[in-house]
Amino acid sequence: MWEVVASFFAHLVSADNPLWLYYPLCLVVAVVYKATKFDDPKRILRAALHFFVSVTLGMFALAIVFYLIARFL
Amino acid sequence: MTPPEVSQRSPVAALVLGWILPGAGHAYAGRWGKAVLFFLCITGLVVAGLVLADGTNILPRRLWYAAQVCAGGPAVALTPVSQYVASRGPVDWADPFHEMGTLYTAVAGFLNLLVMMDAYTRLAYPHRPQDAAEQEEDA
Repeated sequence: MWEVVASFFAHLVSADNPLWLYYPLCLVVAVVYKATKFDDPKRILRAALHFFVSVTLGMFALAIVFYLIARFL
Repeated sequence: MTPPEVSQRSPVAALVLGWILPGAGHAYAGRWGKAVLFFLCITGLVVAGLVLADGTNILPRRLWYAAQVCAGGPAVALTPVSQYVASRGPVDWADPFHEMGTLYTAVAGFLNLLVMMDAYTRLAYPHRPQDAAEQEEDA
């Protein structure tokens, strides 16, 4: 089980994996979306960071689930 | 208590300017900080997407273009460049970096739509609470 998880992380951070490009994309989406919602720069930053972390963790959890399904089914 | 100042600026002009140049709608509405932020974010995404795909992903014959063209001026200006580069050799459509670049430019288009609508509503409905925090207080 732990070998599977370790191989998942190894694949995730490998140089030829373009998945890391999702992070800047997600960050820009979070900043622009929250900038249309709020006027105060501090509030924009805080809300954008919250949005970014929530989306990233959610996608990360989904990725683990799909990886395990693909691995064992 | 004085009533809030009503802007005489046209919401439709803000919408059109926002399409021509991302963030220009907010600049027209007098919100220069947000205008610069939106311009940097959206134009940056378009340029980064084009670079990731080696300049071959903003092509009118693909369905993605419907989203990309919403990014306005930068996407339209880079279309001939992309067409020229794509015509010079075979394009690897399945390359993951090409796909990611296409996603970047398409998301830039959708974000610009959101920004254009924001500039429009701020001028069209000036008396509505514009900040989500104000809306929460009103509720």
